[in-house]
Order: sequence, then structure tokens, then C-alpha cells
Amino acid sequence: MKLIRELYQTQEEKGYLSDEDLRDIAERLSVPLYRVEEVVSFYTHFYRSPPPKTEIAICRDVSCFLNNSDAYLSRVKHQARDDEDVGIHEVSCLGRCEYAPAALVNGVPIGRLSPEELVHRARHADTLPNVGLAQPSRWRIDYCAESGERYSVYNAYRARRDEEAAAAEIIEILKEAGLKGMGGAGFPTGIKWELVRKEEAVPKYIVCNADESEPGAFKDRVIQEELPHLIIEGMCLASYVTGARVGIIYVRSEYEPERRAMKLALDDARARGVLGEHFDIEIFVSPGGYIMGEETALLEGLEDRRGEPRNKPPYPGHKGLRGKPTLINNVETLALAPSIINNGIDWWRNQGLRGHVGLKFIGVSGHVEKPGVFEIRLGTTVSELIDMAGGVSDGRSLKAFAPGGASSNFLPASKADVEIDFQSIADAGSMLGAAALVVIAEGTDMIETATNVSRFFRNESCGKCVPCRSGTEKVVAMLEDVLAGKGNGALLDALPDLEETLAETSICGLGQVALGPIASALKYWGDEMNNHLAKSKRT
Amino acid sequence: MNLTQESSQTVTLIIDGHTVSVPVGTTIYDAAQQADIEIPVLCHEPRLRPVGVCRMCVVDVGERVLAASCVREVADGMNVVTNSEKVQNCRRTLTELLLSDYPEDSARASTTGDDLLLDLARDLQVDREAILVPAGNGRAQDLSSPVIAVDHSACILCDRCIRACDEVQHNDVIGRTGKGYGSRISFDMDAPMGDSTCVSCGECAAVCPTGALTHKTLTVQIRPREELKNIDSVCPYCGVGCATTYHIDTEANTIVYADGRESPASDSRLCVKGRYGFDYAKHPQRLTVPLIRREDAYPKGPLSADVKGERKKKPGGLVNYDEVMPAFREATWDEALDRVASRLKAIKDSSGPNALAGFGSAKCSNEEAYLFQKLVRAVFGTNNVDHCTRLCHASSVAALLETIGSGAVTNVFADVHNADVALVTGSNTTENHPVAATFIKDAAANGTTLIVIDSRETGMSQRADFFLHIAPGSDVPLYNAMMNVLVEEDLINRDYIRDFTEDFDALRPVIEKYTPEMAEGICGVPASTIREVARIFGKANAAIIFWGMGISQHTHGTDNARCLISLALLTGNVGRPGTGLHPLRGQNNVQGASDAGLIPMVYPDYQSVASTDVQKKFEDAWGVSLDPNPGLTVVEIIGGALAGEIKGMYMMGENPFLSDPNVNKVRKALCNLEFLCVQDIFLTETAEFADVILPATSFFEKEGTYTNTDRRVQIGPIALEAPGQARLDWQLVCEIATRMGYPMGYASAEEVFAEFTSLAPSYAGLDYENLKPTGKLWPCPDPATSDGIQLLFGDGFPTASGRGKFVPVDYQPAAELPDEEYPFILNTGRLLEHWHTGTMTRRSKALDAIQPEAHCQLNPADLNELGVGSDDYVTLSTRRGSITLKARPATGISRGNVFVPFHFREASANTLTNDALDPFGKIPEYKFCAVKVEKA
Repeated sequence: MKLIRELYQTQEEKGYLSDEDLRDIAERLSVPLYRVEEVVSFYTHFYRSPPPKTEIAICRDVSCFLNNSDAYLSRVKHQARDDEDVGIHEVSCLGRCEYAPAALVNGVPIGRLSPEELVHRARHADTLPNVGLAQPSRWRIDYCAESGERYSVYNAYRARRDEEAAAAEIIEILKEAGLKGMGGAGFPTGIKWELVRKEEAVPKYIVCNADESEPGAFKDRVIQEELPHLIIEGMCLASYVTGARVGIIYVRSEYEPERRAMKLALDDARARGVLGEHFDIEIFVSPGGYIMGEETALLEGLEDRRGEPRNKPPYPGHKGLRGKPTLINNVETLALAPSIINNGIDWWRNQGLRGHVGLKFIGVSGHVEKPGVFEIRLGTTVSELIDMAGGVSDGRSLKAFAPGGASSNFLPASKADVEIDFQSIADAGSMLGAAALVVIAEGTDMIETATNVSRFFRNESCGKCVPCRSGTEKVVAMLEDVLAGKGNGALLDALPDLEETLAETSICGLGQVALGPIASALKYWGDEMNNHLAKSKRT
Repeated sequence: MNLTQESSQTVTLIIDGHTVSVPVGTTIYDAAQQADIEIPVLCHEPRLRPVGVCRMCVVDVGERVLAASCVREVADGMNVVTNSEKVQNCRRTLTELLLSDYPEDSARASTTGDDLLLDLARDLQVDREAILVPAGNGRAQDLSSPVIAVDHSACILCDRCIRACDEVQHNDVIGRTGKGYGSRISFDMDAPMGDSTCVSCGECAAVCPTGALTHKTLTVQIRPREELKNIDSVCPYCGVGCATTYHIDTEANTIVYADGRESPASDSRLCVKGRYGFDYAKHPQRLTVPLIRREDAYPKGPLSADVKGERKKKPGGLVNYDEVMPAFREATWDEALDRVASRLKAIKDSSGPNALAGFGSAKCSNEEAYLFQKLVRAVFGTNNVDHCTRLCHASSVAALLETIGSGAVTNVFADVHNADVALVTGSNTTENHPVAATFIKDAAANGTTLIVIDSRETGMSQRADFFLHIAPGSDVPLYNAMMNVLVEEDLINRDYIRDFTEDFDALRPVIEKYTPEMAEGICGVPASTIREVARIFGKANAAIIFWGMGISQHTHGTDNARCLISLALLTGNVGRPGTGLHPLRGQNNVQGASDAGLIPMVYPDYQSVASTDVQKKFEDAWGVSLDPNPGLTVVEIIGGALAGEIKGMYMMGENPFLSDPNVNKVRKALCNLEFLCVQDIFLTETAEFADVILPATSFFEKEGTYTNTDRRVQIGPIALEAPGQARLDWQLVCEIATRMGYPMGYASAEEVFAEFTSLAPSYAGLDYENLKPTGKLWPCPDPATSDGIQLLFGDGFPTASGRGKFVPVDYQPAAELPDEEYPFILNTGRLLEHWHTGTMTRRSKALDAIQPEAHCQLNPADLNELGVGSDDYVTLSTRRGSITLKARPATGISRGNVFVPFHFREASANTLTNDALDPFGKIPEYKFCAVKVEKA
């Protein structure tokens, strides 16, 4: 963390990282030059040359793409064409999909603004209003909303003398409740906590993965902003169970307002004596990149290396940060733990619908009237959720949806009755993943949409392993040819082998799922591909 | 995880239907290898940490996805399928992805030939023409390195070079830049390779599986290894003795490239000299015909301007043969050899045997060294035989013989990985023993605390946990102070001192006065640091000490070494794993040449010439009576020549004009010799003073054994045919002996080795058969089953009492201290790319390209004060002479100091050095004299 923090600090002071500064840092920290190069060139948030006075970042990924971010970008560029002080670039998903097309001005999130207004604001960057935060809501999982008595679950356990039995009790509750990892992989939380508890090596670490970067996903952002105390309490309970004394919240840099909310909550927890010498939590701001949400890439980042996922096993619970047992949980998972323990297993079970168990935060974006984060009962159907979000926008009908963000396979409208739950969505041929329902209205070109998603994975591939590094690039190149009217049938012939190879041999989930969306688009909307190819033949 | 699996030490699994049992922790790939099941790999290489990035080695273990077998550990009951249709299909697709971006012509296929990607494509029957995915746009080439060609478009990002550079050689230059498909390998902060901190060890090109990093051609066009003859050998340069394989184009009679070879001494690693410095043997300046000085070239004197000391301020270069050759005429072997024998014999007859002397060389083999000293002792009739060990570690050897009864290392350098603490002092290991340095750096990277003590910042100090930047020549007070702390704080090993040492009581009163505060005043290291380092050394379970010329080349070099020995004895750090005393030996055969008796006081294996029993042993063996008086040492012989007492000399492979201190004195001395025979492969600076020059064979053209710094005796076989009429050195020695009336004849070098080992107990049992393939450490009581004894003196020492002796010493300043007229301190030494007097390395294309010219290094602040810019010329003057050369700024040099590499004839460092000697080792003070620096 030393090198990346040092780089951040120097960049903050000087605006960018000159070669001279980098050499200085290398010498000061006794780090070889190549290590500095590896890190600085890998992460998107480090600048090697002076940035323009004002930087506008506009998201290009799927939810924003569906809301015409391409056209928006052109218009913004046009507006600012004569302004040398304003730099405009496209970026990967900013996690503010409900404001699509989402934008940042000098790192500050901007609500839905017209291109004219955006450029005007950018020119007066010092007067930027802090927009983009959701309205505070009441959330069912906030067990202390009414009493106002935060951290009571953790404090009660801390007061107990029978630590051994108390820890076993927590693990048992989590297991009984069937709580699974809400980051997408769905590993049973109680078992994970128990595994780390059993590890003998010390020190142990608790890491909260707040690096939500999946296009379409923004539910963790809202939890961080509105329920930070539950995340902290979840980490405290995890430390109680595992014996870890250091906690780290790994947050993406685009979530700066939410980081501040998190920091205030940490200060509050410290003031209450909840955090302290026995267990404390620090925030680490990611230097950027979707891949950093992959838990072992995240660990590599914390160790000042390129965020390249590790081969697994060993898993982080056994050998994680600096080779020590590390419990990594997603924001939502941690936030759920205190509530389940407080309210009981029966309460948790009763939250589900149609035989499903529990609650779920889910972001809804794309072609809906009222995009946002919804705390739904599991078992709610996709159609019901779309209705909660005000229905498909502009009165159009539903064409397709991706239930778990960019990495989940597209499903056709005919499957919108699927009950939202990890298993039922998997059975329907996709995945709930990062809980990011992307809604696509009739009239949308699915090949273009799938190309957009494929491009995201190409852009965000870390480059470590061959299948993902090269496979995503090649598929995007072939898709772009198709869309440009220069395609031949090679893609259709090559894709099955490529999809299998990426799925079977990539080191991490990114590569394994990268070609799923395009394959699903071809499966359900193959005729659209044929139309594109037919155009190619004509030209 | 079930408990039975954890408690058992082996795991049983099924691979392709075969049941395999392997230790816990084995990877699937290694387990498959044991079952003779080949799994294809690109990124995996047994010497490197597995990273699992190419994914070629994936296998089906019945999980959700395939597993990379090179990184996945086996588990009990695992059912592995290595070649299912799915697995093979994935491999083919991966290969197609890589090939789609691969250049048409692989630089590896066309050079060394082993392009693993193309081989894999062939094995998997991938047709390049039928690949569906589009080609990329190609990537740049980087041809900036003199030895390595980089083709980024052939790079598959397998990370082999990165691991080789950063984790094997620990040079920390190569990494990845960029992200995703745009990633590529890069050097430092994405500099061109030739401008980076790359030290050209070539490890990256050696491990690269594709055409991305390939060796550039140095001699004739590199051809695939199958078309070349391969000779397993050792490196001809330093004392590390790296095992090599030379790839020889027999048609052109030249080495085209070199590989490191598996050996305990070098683990297949090489440095820039070993990998790229082999082409000197083919240099056009090789001597091929015997030469006799023309009558009109008398009286003798230097011939070239450089040796005359005339030319100033010029950028480098070799001797100009046009300037020198006119003084000589070609002769037949008979005429030349008769001339040598008759002239030497005449001097012996007229002035007595002690008017003759011989210099052997630590570059020659054990066999040549043995025969050379036999010639001088048995035929010349004198013990005036010495060689360049006198100039490097004579003081270390003197101290070691005095205290522990043996001059060789007590442990091998690679055992540093068992040490808690490694102390490296007076050794620029990364430049002078580069491959040994990799072992030390590796240990440091894996937890060994590295303490470096030096008057310059070095590649080692950059890695050190503690770097003690001492004032030049202040070693004794520092070590005495460390011992003071050890005694004061009771961090000494009392049991060891009681059981294995003597004279501890003599040490105490001497070190008492050397408090850390007192030492701080002399050596400039804070007392608190001295205490901290002493404590770390004292508390170590195992500590090993390495030292180099920074310790030995002082008028108090023996004292310096005595201190280090006391430090080891005081803490019981001898004779156990991870402990020991290791003076890093310089030349490839400096250990062996000494073992073979090229020392004026001892016969082979350090048997004293003053002992009547020993004298009788050798008189019986050689059939002549021998001189019982020790002979003169190198600098004494040169002094004798100057005084007219030494009249005739035979030099085999030595170049004292450049290597001995005080060149102006050496010049006069060489002029003064009545007769000088120089036997060498090039016309050296010394040969300009010769009456007869005998063209000899290079390392590659002869067979012999060489003993490295670890005491490892290794065979160097014939790799090339000798040029012209050049003859084997040992045969020339025999010819001269025979012509002087002492018939000497051997069928082979092997026969000479047998005679030597019969007289040298330490080498007993060794022969050419059991030395193959990676040599043996002496002593080796059981060569049939053992590699030789690695750890010496675990149970006492070969001294009269069987104990190691403490020899306390007091601080003595250097012989010549800076003053107003000569205010700087001069230090001399070597550069990574060059070897001693440059005879070989300056005739190597690659090495010369990297370091082409003479220069000195000063602190930038001093240069600034002198008004000297980078690469401006300065004149350095001492009381003995002056040279003019370029100045380079070096922050690692303290203010008031100058460092001059001694390889360069056009600005010979030894024009400046002081020929004052250490009284015990008779080694000159190369590392310290007073010098004046002026802008030229």
C-alpha cells in the first residue's frame, strides 16, 4: 500500500507523475524502477503527463450506452471543442448508472445534465454542486434505523466472556440463514468466516470489497453511502470471529462522496469505541480498474503490484494479503450480517417470496423510467422489479435484460418471469452476479449492445493470461468489423472455440465470462447478426 | 481438507489412468512428469517460479473449469485428464491466438532454433493459414542492446524473462508495462533496453521461449543448435566457475553462442562475460607464429606509444600491431624454443638459478600451473615462481594459513541461502563475481539479512539491509569495534571459543580500546550502527562472511583478513551450514594455480619448501635436488629485475606491465631483463619487452582442469582448433624443460593431472572421469559417491594445535595518505564487462561495445568543483606517474575519492598505484594512495 499511496500523494501534489518524481519515489522506497513502471502503467488513475485544467469523464458502458452515451459524448466534445482547458475522455462504468449517461467533472459525479450544462459546469469547476447522491431511504436491513442504537450486535458479543461459543454462534447463524456472498460468486458466508477462523497463521485481515465496477452495478455504492455503519459492524463481527485486527475497505476512486460517508462512519465508530486498538479499519482507494474487484487482484493491488488475479487455490482465506489468512467479503454481505444476527434467522427467511430466502439489493438501469437501487425480496420476478422501476422507458416493450450486469448473459423478454434468486437465474441461463438488472427495450440492436459489453471486457482485461488478453481483443476486432460492414462469417466459426477456451482456461472470472454476453446475443438474436453480415456482403 | 491427507506426506492421484504417488505440495505438472506424461508448457520453466499465465498446461481435474497444472497442487484422489478433446481444443485455440500475432519469421527459429511456440503449433497440428482470428497490428522491435534483440511482436508475455531478470539474476530490470492486450515487457521505466540498467547477463534471452528476446550474432550467423557442436565446459573468466555449454560452428571453427549449464556452482546462470565474451579467441590479433625480437630492436624498450607512456587524451583502443610487429620476426618453433632454453640456461650457468624467475597465471589450468612451477623449481632450480594471486588474495591466504591452517574457503558461496546473516565486505560482487552475487541477492530476497561494508556504493549495497559506508582503509577499527560490542554484550560463542580456538585472551585487550565511538571517528560509521550490526551478526544462528580485494589489497590486508577470521571464530561461524569464511577468488583458476604450487614458498598443495621432508618428497618425485629457500614474490621479482638480480624470466599468460603496481617502475624493470620470454595468445603490453614471444592456446583450444572459488575442480575441454602454429601451453613448458636438459613428456593433460594429484593430498582421488560433468569439490575422499566436502573445519582446524587462532591487530593507516598536493584518495578495481588487463575482454565485440574506453569515477560534487563535465577529460597524478582519461560522475563514490578501473592500457591505473607491500602477504596497496585530480 506504501507505493500506491506514495504515488497518489505525489500526484495529488503535482497533478501528475513525472519520470523524475517516479525515480525519486523508487529511490525513496527502495523499489526497482520496473516495479514503478508496472504499477503506474497498469492503473487508470495515474497520469504520466499534466492533465488539462478540467477533466470530463463520460461513461461508455452498457447502461450509459443504452442511454445514448455515444451521441452525448460527441455533443459534449463539440461544445468544448475550442476549450483547451477542458479535456474529455471516455471511461469505463462509473457506478452511477441511474444517471446515465454518467459523467464526472474533475472526479466529482454529475447528475443528468445536458451537454451544454455539463460543459458550462466544467468551465466553472470550482462551483460544482455535489450532485449524484441518492435520496436517503428506509432500508429493511437497517436493524437500528428506528432505535438509533448502532453497533449493538457487535457490542453484545464483545461483552460476552464465552468468546469461543459466541464466535461459533455467529458462524452457526450465518450458516443457518444461508447467507451467501453478494459480490456474485455466492460462496456461503458462514463457511468462509469459519475457514478463516480456523487458520492458525497471523496476522489475519478483513477486507471489505467495495470496488463495485461492473457495468450496471451500483447497489454497493448506495449501501456505502446510506448504511456504512452496517458495513463496519459486519467487519467488526468478522474480526471478532476470525481474530483479525486489521480491516481494510477497498473502495473505487470514483466513489469519492461515498468514501467520505464511509470515513465519517469510521470516525463515529472510533468515537464510540467500536473501533480501536482491538480492531481498526482503514480505507484504501483503488488506483482504478474493473479487475480490482476480483479478490486476488485486489490483494495484489494492496501489495503494490499490478492488479493481476492470482491462480487459485490457494484462496485468500488461506493465503491472502501478504500470504496471510484474509477474509474478503462484499459490501452487501458484510452489511447483511449484523441484521441477520440481530433479527434472527426466521426474520431473514420470511423476507423472501415464493419460497426464496432473504433480501437483495439490486441496481436497475438501462431502459427504465426510474432507475435506482431496490431492496427486493428474493423471489420477486424481473417483470415485477421492472415495474418497481417505473416500467420500460418511453412506453416501449421489453426486448431483453441482463440480470447481473455486463458479465451476465442476456435473456429475452420471454424470461422476464424468472424469480430473482441466484439459482433460478442460473437455471434460466444467466446469473444474478453483481445484482445489476440492465433493461433493454425493443428497438435496440443486440449485436451492438453485446459488442459494447465485449469491448468493456477487452478494455478491462488485465493482460495476465493469454485467453482473456488475446481472446477479448480478437473478438472485439471481429465484432467491430461486422458492425463496420466488413465482417465475414469467421466470428461465427471461431466463437464457440474461443468461448470455451476463455471460459475454461482464463485465470479469473473476467475472462471466464467475457464472451458469455455475445454468445447469448447470438443464441437469441442470431438473425440480427445475420442481417449485419448480409450488409457486409452487399458492400 | 481432510485430516488423513494432511497427516500423510504423500498424495495419491490418478493421471490419465495411471496411479501416481507424490509428496504433498507437488504440482500436477511435476507429478505428470514423474509418470512420464508430457504436458505442454510455454511459460513454465523448471528454474523459475511457476506463474500459470500461458494456460497451455491446463488439465481436466473434474472441476468447474480446467486447471493450470504448473501451479495447481495435487490432492488425494484427484483424477486428472491431461489430453481430453476439450483440453486439446483449448490448447489449439490458445496457440492460434498467440500465432495470430506472431511474426512470419521467428528470430529464435532462425538462430538457436528452439522456438517453443512454433514447436507447440506443430505438435498440436495448428495450421497458421487456417487461423480465423485476425492478426494484430504488430509491435516494435528494440535493437538498442549490443547483445540482445527484442521483438515485441514475438512476445507472448509468458513472464519468463521477467522472472529470470528479477528472481533468478535479481537484476530487477524487466517488467510489464501497460495493461491488457496493450501490455508488453519493458525495461526500467520503459527505456530502450540498451539505455536501461540492464547488465546484459542474457538470462532473459536464454529463457525466452519465442523470438522475442534473442542473442545477437557475435561471430558468425547463429544457426539452430542441432546444426552445431555442443561442448560442456566452464567459463574462462572469474573464480565463480560457471558451467557453460558452447555451441560451435565447426566449419567456421568458432563459438556462436553460449548457454549456462546446470551445476551446483552456477545453476545455469551466466553473466555478460560468460555469455557474450567468448569471441576473443577468434580475434584477428591472435598470435599464430613464434616471434623473435629483431637485432635492430635492441636495446629493449617499449614499442607502442601507450606502453611508452607517451600518448594522452585519446579514446581507448587495442595495441596497434603496425607499431609493434616491426620489432619482431617470425621464427620456427625449433629456433624459438632453442633460443628460450639456451638463453635461460646461459643465465642460470653464469648468474646462478636465482637469477631466473617465472610468472605463471591464474588463467591457466591446474596442469599448466603444476608443470610451470615444476619447470621453475626442477629445471631453473629456483623457487622464484609466483603469479597474480599475489596481487589479489595473498594477504587473505596469509591470514587464513596463519590462523586456521588453510587458505581456501570453508564453505561454498551458494550456501548463503542457509545463512541468517551474510556479511559482504570489500567486494563489488555484482560486478566482479556476478553469478555468485545472484546467490547472495537471492538469499537476501528470501530473508537473509545482508550487511554490506564498503567504501563505495555497489550493486550489493543497494540490496543491503545495512550498508556501512566506511572511509577507505578503515576496516580494522570497524571490525575491532564490532568484536568489542560482541564481547561487551556477551554475544560470543563461549563453547566454540573453548573447544576450537586459541589465544582469545590475546584478542581481548586489543579490541577493548576499539569502542564503537572510537571506531566511528576513523571509519565514519555511526557508533549506533556499529552496535546494531554487531548485535545482528552476534545473534545470528548462522553467519557467512564474503570478502574481496577491498579487504586484501592494502598494506594491512592481512590484518583486515585476520579481523574477519576473528569475527567468525568469536561467534563460532565456521563449519556449519550457512556459516563460513569465503574470500571470493578472482580468476577462473586462482584457487587451482595456488593449489598447484605457483607460489614461491610452497610446493603443490601448500607444502612448504622450507620443510626437509617435503623437499625430499618432491626431489624423489621429480628426480632432482631442489632449492630449500623460499623464492621471491611478484613485486619482489620486478624489484629484483630493476636491481639487476633477476636477469631472465619466463612468463606464461601474465601481463605485469598493466597488472603490477607502479608501471613506470615495471617498465624500467622489464627493460632491464637480459632475457624475457612471453607466452600468450595476444601481443600484450608486457610482450613488447620480450626477446621471444611464443603463441599459445586460448582456454577454448585446450583441455585442462580449473578450480573455482568454492574449491570445485572442473574440466574445460577442447572446443576450438588453435589458430596457425599456436601450441598448447603445457607442451611448450615441456619443450623448454627438455631443451634445458630435463626431459619432460606427457601424453596428455590428463596424465599431468594424475601426477599433480599424486603429490597433492587435497586432490587425491580426483581424475578426469569422476570430474565429469560438474566437477568435484576438494577434498573429495569418495569421488564415486560424493560431490566433495562442502563444509570444512566443523571439528577443528589443520593447524598444529588443531585450533583456530585469534590474531589481534591494531589499526594502521594506509602507506600513503592524502595531503595538500595529492588531496584525493585513489581506489582501483574492475568493471563488470572487463577482465583484468583487458587482453581478452577488449577483444570481445560485445564487451568492448558496452565499455569501450578508459574512465574514472568521481563524486558529482567534486567534478562540479573542479569544473569538469561528464565525459570531460581529467588528469590524475600521483607521486609515481599520471594518466589522462574521461571522468564520469558517480554518486556512489564519496567526496574526495577517485575510482579507476585498471583494464585500460591507454590510461593504465597502475601508473598511479603504490607498490608498497603488505608485510605478510606481499600484496601491493592497489586500493589506496594519494592522488591529484586536474581538469585536462
